[in-house]
Amino acid sequence: MIGCEVRVTAVRFAYGEREALRGIDLAVGAGERVALVGPNGAGKTTLTRLLVALRRPTAGRVTVGDWDVATKRPDEMARRVGYAFQHADQQLFARTVADDVAFGPRCLGRGRAGVASVLDELGLGGVADLHPYDVPAPARKLVALAGVLAMEPAVLILDEPTAGLDRVQRSRVVAALRRRADAGVTVLAVSHDLGFVAEAADRIVAMREGRVATDRPARELLYDREALAALGLRPPTTAQIGMALGLPGSPIRAHEVVDALRGTRWKEMPE
Amino acid sequence: MIGYVPGASPLHRAHPYTTLALAGALLLGAFALTQPLEVWLLVAAAVAFSASGGVLRSSARTAFLLSLPIWALLFVLHGLLGADPRTTVGPLSLSVPGIARALVLGGRVTAIVLAFLTALATTSPHRLVEAMTARGVPFGRTFLLASTLTVLPRMRERAARILEAQQCRGLRLGGSAIARLRALGPLALPLVLGALAEVDEQVLALDARGAASAARRTALDPPPDSSAQRSLRAFLLVLVVAAYGWKFWRMRG
Amino acid sequence: MTALVELERAGFTYPGARSPALSDVSLDIAAGDVLVVTGEAGAGASTLLLVATGFAPRVVGGKLSGQRRIAARRCGVVFARPWTQLTGLCSTVRDEIAFGPASFGLPRQAVLDAAERAMRELRIAHLAEREPSQLSGGELQRVVVAAALALDPEVLALDDPAAELDPEAADALYDVLPAIAAAGKAVVVATPDLERAARVATRAVTLEHGRIAARGAPADVLDGTEPALVARAAGCPRPYPLDVPALVRRVRR
Repeated sequence: MIGCEVRVTAVRFAYGEREALRGIDLAVGAGERVALVGPNGAGKTTLTRLLVALRRPTAGRVTVGDWDVATKRPDEMARRVGYAFQHADQQLFARTVADDVAFGPRCLGRGRAGVASVLDELGLGGVADLHPYDVPAPARKLVALAGVLAMEPAVLILDEPTAGLDRVQRSRVVAALRRRADAGVTVLAVSHDLGFVAEAADRIVAMREGRVATDRPARELLYDREALAALGLRPPTTAQIGMALGLPGSPIRAHEVVDALRGTRWKEMPE
Repeated sequence: MIGYVPGASPLHRAHPYTTLALAGALLLGAFALTQPLEVWLLVAAAVAFSASGGVLRSSARTAFLLSLPIWALLFVLHGLLGADPRTTVGPLSLSVPGIARALVLGGRVTAIVLAFLTALATTSPHRLVEAMTARGVPFGRTFLLASTLTVLPRMRERAARILEAQQCRGLRLGGSAIARLRALGPLALPLVLGALAEVDEQVLALDARGAASAARRTALDPPPDSSAQRSLRAFLLVLVVAAYGWKFWRMRG
Repeated sequence: MTALVELERAGFTYPGARSPALSDVSLDIAAGDVLVVTGEAGAGASTLLLVATGFAPRVVGGKLSGQRRIAARRCGVVFARPWTQLTGLCSTVRDEIAFGPASFGLPRQAVLDAAERAMRELRIAHLAEREPSQLSGGELQRVVVAAALALDPEVLALDDPAAELDPEAADALYDVLPAIAAAGKAVVVATPDLERAARVATRAVTLEHGRIAARGAPADVLDGTEPALVARAAGCPRPYPLDVPALVRRVRR
């Protein structure tokens, strides 16, 4: 699977009088894993909607690979970009979970071949034959995500993919994204969940008030308490542990912290 | 377009029962009145009603769009296929009494739609609930009525989000009739299913807040009524009854 | 302390379901508790909340087995999605919060006082005149909690209340819970957010396939937080530290 470069050049966007994006320049290379963070109202979701032609920028240019998004419709963009919306219920409709996940691939003229494996990947194998609304709400979110993954896009855009999920579900999402990024898919995730960001992203683009406030490698930004505070964020647990114990290598993934802690001597009882 | 639009017009400030009574009178009048002069007075009254709410432009535009298919149908049925005498307009031969009939029927439909849209645009669901609560109407009924007022804007919002989600999955809009028909499922079903799923939660949340309580609800901010408005509502009732009486008397004679 | 809710070998099956959502649950909930219920998705945490507060089977239908005694006069419930819990009929936050007390026919001043108290407790008095539809998710969820508290329930159940909130708003919401319990209420929270739960819980229970798999002090039950998992994987002996400061304290340097 080959990913695409996503490039945003001098993009501005306004909802009527209110400017939501004030000149964004951003390039995400094929196979990169980028997290988009920032306070509510910063323009993160607005920016992602421009990438799939749901809205047109009032100025500037957006390209996905060699496609100029301005010349495409959203259903055409679906051939390259998979967009996982924050609220799953706005798209589920089929009689069974499996049918719903197969909808996207069918629209694109592909068969149902990949559906079963995507369902298993997200732990949905057991509910494949249930009606989507007979499945609890967090699992419905995974069904919607499965529907997007089954389309095998070159670029994945996800809006708050882990909101409301439990630990096991979150780890499945992280694993699914890692697998695809390793295969070259470009991943862009909007998220408040810095624990998820630490596991899934290599680069963090922070937005504030319609502009890019900072664009740094994840390993650097997640250890910069001040920069995070300026964005209204706290370091994720892994970075907090790393900072408190002075662990070498700025570990941000759970397994990295565990490795760094191997050989630690522990006190028996809490003080 | 369709739904409450906040404002400060006389209709907005009137007691919700008054606004609804005016709209109701226009609606019922449209069924009772059949003569051209009567109907055009009715349409003029509907326009005045809408103007007094400050929503004439938007309501007229929506009313036009909504009643366009009906007007077209009326002209085809009565104008093209009606009785003699006929007149020629360009390449078309139109029936004169047919056109007259189409105008009258179209006028009645337009008055109804305009009255309905104006009532929706100028009746705040909140004020209506307060008015009904102050009158002692049980909450179940007020909620049902007020929710129907807000259901259209909510559905529209939801429908827009569903459209986006399905397009991003590759659903192509437009195309052949079969393609459009096939697109109905992915567009309409989430609308209904999503709404139903939310209703479950909303019912629980509202029940927890006493919506099913048998006690008489306290009206916190009942809209002010006046004897003038009450008299107006009584007068409208008399007017409607008179209109029907007039209609039946004419039919007999 | 007398229990506000007592469950003895209680079970519950949803209407039309093939297997029970809860089985053999024995649990007491007392005033002052902040009881956290966790478990994987579908384990029955939400169901336990509905059963403990009496909404199941009364509102949702289904079948209850075993024994249940609810001594609490009134129970409140808060769900994850703020906007589905609004009446949709109130134009200000104050009215939305006052909806509950008004439903029970309390005198007007008592209703307004209850709303003011609830707004103060949630620190949202500055939002009183705002329109609910204009608020952010975090603000709206605090309004929903205030609306549930305005009825002075003895048991307040919250089902993953911070699921849709950003980190700051989530922290603010959880920070309010101990104060609510300290005022003599029982707070029950079902959530997968073990980190935040661990900060406020006085007791915890884990469900697996509808049965209680573990119960006791948060330090023992909520050991699925990230610091706990990391410590465990790195060889730390029980009890595992639930948060970062606790982990740091356990490291021998």
